[in-house]
Amino acid sequence: MSNTVTTREEMNLITAINSGLRQEMARDPAVIMYGYDIGPIGGVFRVTEGLYDEFGPQRVIDTPLSENGVLGTAVGMAVRGLRPVVEMQFMGFFYNSFGQFVCSVANMYERTGGLCAVPMTIRMTFGGGIKPLLFHSESTETFLAHTPAVRVVCPSSPYQAKGMMAASIRSDDPVVFLEHTKQYRARREPVPTEEYLLSLDKAEIIKPGKDVTVIAWGGMVEQAQLALKNVDADVELIDLRSLAPLDVETILTSVKKTGRCVVVHEARRTLGPGAEISALVHENLLEWLLAPVQRVTAFDVNFPDNQTEDFYLPDAQRIQYGIEKVMNYRY
Amino acid sequence: MGQTKWSEPKVSEDFIRILEPSGVAKGEVPNVAPEELLKWYRSIVRTRAYEDMTIRMQRRGELSVTAQSRGEEAIGVGAMAALQAGDLVYPSYRQFSGHLYWNAPLARAMAGLFGAAPETIVAHLPIDEVDLPKVQFMPYGVILASQVTHAVGSAMADQLQGSTAVTMTFTGEGSTSEGDFHDALNFAGVFKAPCVIIVVNNGWSISVPASRQTGSATFAEKASAYGLPGARVDGNDVLAVYQTVSEAVARARSGEGSTLVECVTYRVVDHNTSDSSEVYRDDEQAAYWRTLDPLDRFTAYLEGQGILTDETKQQEADEAKAFVEAAAELARSVPRSTPETMFEHHLQGEPSWAERVQRAELQAELEGRNPFLADHQPGEGS
Repeated sequence: MSNTVTTREEMNLITAINSGLRQEMARDPAVIMYGYDIGPIGGVFRVTEGLYDEFGPQRVIDTPLSENGVLGTAVGMAVRGLRPVVEMQFMGFFYNSFGQFVCSVANMYERTGGLCAVPMTIRMTFGGGIKPLLFHSESTETFLAHTPAVRVVCPSSPYQAKGMMAASIRSDDPVVFLEHTKQYRARREPVPTEEYLLSLDKAEIIKPGKDVTVIAWGGMVEQAQLALKNVDADVELIDLRSLAPLDVETILTSVKKTGRCVVVHEARRTLGPGAEISALVHENLLEWLLAPVQRVTAFDVNFPDNQTEDFYLPDAQRIQYGIEKVMNYRY
Repeated sequence: MGQTKWSEPKVSEDFIRILEPSGVAKGEVPNVAPEELLKWYRSIVRTRAYEDMTIRMQRRGELSVTAQSRGEEAIGVGAMAALQAGDLVYPSYRQFSGHLYWNAPLARAMAGLFGAAPETIVAHLPIDEVDLPKVQFMPYGVILASQVTHAVGSAMADQLQGSTAVTMTFTGEGSTSEGDFHDALNFAGVFKAPCVIIVVNNGWSISVPASRQTGSATFAEKASAYGLPGARVDGNDVLAVYQTVSEAVARARSGEGSTLVECVTYRVVDHNTSDSSEVYRDDEQAAYWRTLDPLDRFTAYLEGQGILTDETKQQEADEAKAFVEAAAELARSVPRSTPETMFEHHLQGEPSWAERVQRAELQAELEGRNPFLADHQPGEGS
């Protein structure tokens, strides 16, 4: 993209997503905001702030408190030409709509032989670190990415978030758009005020390196960036950005170069996305590997209480241990 | 096999009825032209011919499983005859008379029963745009009641976009126990969605009787909790179904919102070809409801009106037989779907690495090669 005429404003993840939503609503009258606590209040995290005033109650629709009702009716709306942007307040609340997600959202396009696409963007917060109540810190992206025929994206920066939100809304596929609660106000960066689109299925190499590939997404990108300052290795840091489909080319190209791989996620270990990435690397690059793939993850327990959650979530220290393990590995 | 069967009370016949079981109309009869009534009759006769044929085909092993709507055919056609071009239907799976009323392509439906993928069916049984049904049929809900929620959202979208289309959806009485049914009615009530929600109360959800689905006296009365009107109608009376649903459609089209219509009928046959209803119920009520058969009743009415004669009855029967047999022949002409079809219509745009690799693996298997011997390198897919 040309930067010559781009004007930029400092934005955090919330204001960047808000900017993307406002831009798409202004561009396409079929785009509506749909969910509860999104109207006059502007979302419990204020992501939809101001949209109700600007676009009115026909475009920013507060619904009854029912995730399944929201998602199920959104399927019918998408069938009839709207592009609903559904807000699921928390990933843990989304579970109530899982039947509609798997059996309708992910199935309608294929079942109708391509006659009925269901273009919709399902926004949901995820991730730990803000110490809220039970089921407000979930990181169960496996449930989403195991489902075929949906995209699952997870921007980690304000710049990514705005461009990927626009691309999600314009995609004719159902897209789950994961927003990390702790990253919402974690940092600001200059974001173009004009519209721009970013790819929905490409990982981003945040920092090139030659010794070890570290793969992360969402809130773990920040922790990985902290970790790589403390390790004696030239780390190639990949921000996955898309969990479904995976950008396997970028992953394999990197690990083929470095010979080492660490996958970091807040999700629990067993059958977390790291299991798939590890399997892909081992299946395809065994002879290039200098060490087995190391997963740095949360533990296989329910998300813990506030006082213990810091010991559950991976952090820079745990990532550092993972990097040291693969760097010091000897066959 | 267990020894104990359900013991069920007789279903209340406190409902809207125009045609007596004898076929005599009482009260005000909806003003419908004779040719239109004949079209309803034809839709039921053809549905029955079609389903009798699919049962035979299932027994011969041509189909894995199929269900009949026998005894419930007045509901599909009576309700959908109240629609107009541009409307939508989110059906359940026993409203085929309504599909035939709107000239839904029977051969395509049969090819689907054979297990062909939609892509294959559409490719081999092309239909000109002008010959497609004038109402849009969505796939029937397999996850029961999920289609009711879709229908309400669909109607909300039409309302938001200024369309005057009406959306109609069908679900069974058992499915009213699903959360989706509650969600759908709740949204329908809050947003005044232009939708007609029809509960087909045929008494049974496979083996579980209607009395196990609700503590309410009727399914129609559930409407009041959502701020919707509810009506209870004799589902074996095509005139009463048409009359009641027409009022609901008019209400929806004029912006007054959704209506719940309970059509009371009885599943006089097994749930489907995999079911044996003698295991869990006696035939006593089914035998009674066979005496209320919607086709017999409507036939008697049409004969009484001079619309149907022995001659035209025979002609309709012959045409129905030829119609379904021609459809079966066309359906049989659809080639088996190729295995690669399974990958179609998942995500749009460039296929992912995983899709390219998995397509290549399937191709290798089809060619008798070991699919796992390929060395997939970065940037490659096959």
